[in-house]
Order: sequence, then C-alpha cells, then structure tokens
Amino acid sequence: MNAAERSLPEGFEALEPFVERWAAGGVAERARRRDESSPQERQAFYDACAALAEGALDRLDEKPLDRLDAREERLRELLLSFAHVALAVEIQAEAEAAHAGLRRELRITHAPAD
Amino acid sequence: MQEQHCFEMSSVEEAAKLFGRGPVSSRPYYDPDRWELERQAIFMRSWLHVGHVCEIPEPGCFIRRDVEFARASLLIVRGKDGEVRAFHNVCTHRGTQLTDELSGKRSRFSCRYHMWTFGLDGALVSAPDFERFYVAKEDCSLKPVQAQVLAGMIFINFDPAPAQSVREFFGPIAEALEATPIARAVDFTEWSYEIEANWKTSFDNYQENYHLRVVHPRTGEPVLGPENPFGYPTHYGFCGPHRSQTLWKNPSPPPIPPIQLMTAMRGAALAQKDGLAFPKSDFKLFPNLHVVGLPPNQFSHTHMPLGPTRTRGQVRMYWTSKADSASRQFARELASMSVRDVLAEDRVAIESCQRGLSSGAIDKFHFQDHEVLLRHLYQEVEARVQAYVAEQQQSGVPA
Repeated sequence: MNAAERSLPEGFEALEPFVERWAAGGVAERARRRDESSPQERQAFYDACAALAEGALDRLDEKPLDRLDAREERLRELLLSFAHVALAVEIQAEAEAAHAGLRRELRITHAPAD
Repeated sequence: MQEQHCFEMSSVEEAAKLFGRGPVSSRPYYDPDRWELERQAIFMRSWLHVGHVCEIPEPGCFIRRDVEFARASLLIVRGKDGEVRAFHNVCTHRGTQLTDELSGKRSRFSCRYHMWTFGLDGALVSAPDFERFYVAKEDCSLKPVQAQVLAGMIFINFDPAPAQSVREFFGPIAEALEATPIARAVDFTEWSYEIEANWKTSFDNYQENYHLRVVHPRTGEPVLGPENPFGYPTHYGFCGPHRSQTLWKNPSPPPIPPIQLMTAMRGAALAQKDGLAFPKSDFKLFPNLHVVGLPPNQFSHTHMPLGPTRTRGQVRMYWTSKADSASRQFARELASMSVRDVLAEDRVAIESCQRGLSSGAIDKFHFQDHEVLLRHLYQEVEARVQAYVAEQQQSGVPA
C-alpha cells in the first residue's frame, strides 16, 4: 500500500480493513455499530486492534484534538469504536447478541461533542 | 468513606432492627389511586433533580424540561444576574407554550401567538396593544417554579413555598455532595429510557445486591466472591429520608481483561492529574435520585414517574473537564458504555416484577435483611402519604 492509499497514520496499516466498518463519529453511532455487528466482525477487529490500541492512544495524545489531521482523526474514531467492541468481546462474549437487545432501550441522548 | 460522615452507618442486623421485618403491601407499587396520593404527597412538594448548571453556563442559556406527572413544561433559565430560575413554559396571555426547543440561548422569550415578550427574569417586557388589557404588566410575569442549585445539580419544587430549602432537605448530605465531582462537572454523557414499572419498583432494583449474581452474571462478576457470593454491601446508612450503602471490597477479584485494565489505568492517571481523588460513594436521595461515585467516575440516575406503572430513567455520567485528548475520550467512552451495559441488564427483570405486582396476585411480600433500603423507602413514602391524607381530612378535602 502506498502512502496515498493509506487512510490511517503510518504504523497502523493493520487496521485499514476495519476503517469502513468501525470509524464513526458520535457515541450513539458507535454503540449502534456494535449492536449491528457480527461476532466474527467484532473478534477480527478486537484481535487486530488490541495490541495496537495503547500505541495509537499515545500517538494521538501528542496533539490537541483539534489539531489532528484526517488520518489521525480516522484513527481516533476507530479507537473509540474499539472501546465498544472491547466490552462486547471481553465482558459479554457469547452473551453479546442477547445483550444488544437489552441495550437498545437505553437511548444515548447527550454526549460531549465528538 | 465519605458517606459515613453524613449517614448513620449500620450493620445489616442493626439496620433490620431499626426498620423491622414484617410484610409490606404490594398495592403501593401498582395502584393508580395510591400513585395519585404519592404524586400529591411527594412529587408535587419535594425537591426534584432536573438538570445541571453546566447545561446553562452563561446568562441567557436555558433548558426546557417536561415534567409529565405535573403536566408541566418548565423553562430553566440563567438570568443576567447569573441566578438560575425556573418558570412554566406558558405565556401568561392565554397559555401558549413559549418554546419547543429543548435548550438554547436568548435574551428574551417571545410568544409565537401574539408576541408577548418576557425577560430572562420572567417579567413581561412588552405586549402589542397592551393598553387594551387593563391589567398591570407586573401581574403578567411568567409563573415561577421554585428552583435551587446544590452541588451543581438543579432541583425544582412545585410547592410554591417549600417547607425546607434544598440544602435543609439534604442536611449533612449537602456538604458531601458538594465535595463530589458532580459539583464541578462541565459536561456529561447521558442516556434515558422508559420502563413499564412503578417508580419505586424501578429505584428499588438499584437498592439491593441480592439480584446481582442472577441478573449480572458477567458484568457483576468482579463484585462477587466466595466469601460474599451475593456481593452484599457491608453497611447500610440512613439520614432522614435518604439512604446509603457501603459496597463490599472483593479481596480477590477475577483478572481484569486486557483492554479494560489498560483503560482503567489510563483513566486513573488522568483522574490523578485532574485532582479527582474521591472515595466510593452512594447517595440514594429521596424521592427518586441515585448518585453513585465509582472513582474516577460518577453518575446520577433519576427515576421520574410518568404514571402508576411507568417511569423514565435518566443516567448521566459527569465529566469535570472537557475531553482534550484521545486517551481521555477513550477512557470516558469505555467507562460510560460499561455502566450502560450493566444497567441494560436490569430492565427485563424489573418489568417482569412489575407485571406480576400489577396482577394483584400477591397482596403482600417480604423484604429480606439485605433489602432494608427498599423497606426504608417504602416506610418513608408511606409516612408521607399518611401525613398527606391526614392533612386533607383536617382541611375537609376528601383524599
């Protein structure tokens, strides 16, 4: 992959396949993506991102949020979705599908701008 | 522990002795006539949490809050003088609601119907062709509702002359609340839900740990252990109509999964940087507000009655600074969704409980000793309903 095709900062190429599915603005939208995902999609994203998450956060923490470029911004959104996926994979595991139905009634009505 | 300064903390045996062990009536949990009494005796004259000052940071900022049990729509406004005031969202000309917006900022409120215009202090500023009304402008101000702020939280009271200020009502708890992060919150994450349950059925779920291992087998696992398989609190505390509990600390919790651990450590480091050192805390405040501190996070949970067996739950996780880094956003997103995941699990059990109660099949039931906080709420509600009925009888009004 050459630099022009990359949508994430250098070093995070392994997460490219997950951008379209998981990079999303807003906590309610990210919660929805978790709800609508398959166990395979969640596990694949978790396996790819678990080892990279700390380094990605460190990298993004070097800049104020309003100075992130488009690739860093995409990585930030991807990581925030990863928080949802980590709860699904690490805590709910095989109960996740049933749990999604329980969560849906708890409508996210306000969140800091993101 | 913070709450021990303001709550009289007791062992479970001591608490059971204080409040008895007899059966309680199931009727208060579903009966429409009983709900009407609770509405009048409690909700129309208690301090109710409806918002936070961070929602109206500057003069002219307002929020609209609809309070269904009172059939009221309220405007809560920050005045030019910085004071927080509440008014009925009702034009004093012929009752038109002044705004449909949930929040905003403006210097005055103009009625869409005939353009009566009110200032942020509720005074009528102007009205077209007003001389034809033959009334004084001073008599046309917006109808106020009592509003007071404590620990950043906005409380309203439909009683035009409340017996106590909000500070008096909370007594020594007021100071403890002011020491919590909620008092200096600048933003929050919120979710809300409606549930087919009486407000007490709904609140009661969060007043006992007896259900944890059944309803929360995964999310509750860290707070259950062989020494305490139910995860019961170690102490229960009482202060007037308010309650608290001291959570048991699991000496050997299960291993924390890697991303949860990484996030908790980042969250703790950021909390230290923010000076967010505070103990675990639990405030179950009369009638319907629960404030929970699980450092470094704190959330409020209100159970607003919509009818005898319908309630709106609203949960807010409060933040004391703007999210200025990816790590802070990540820690907050995971923490808030983690709490939402736990609370999502209770709903089905609560609604099922309500359907059974509403059937009238059991006319009484028992609370076990570790459900003493539910019993305390029951007794506090009962005392107010009885006092209200006596008051109505004395004044000759049939209750």
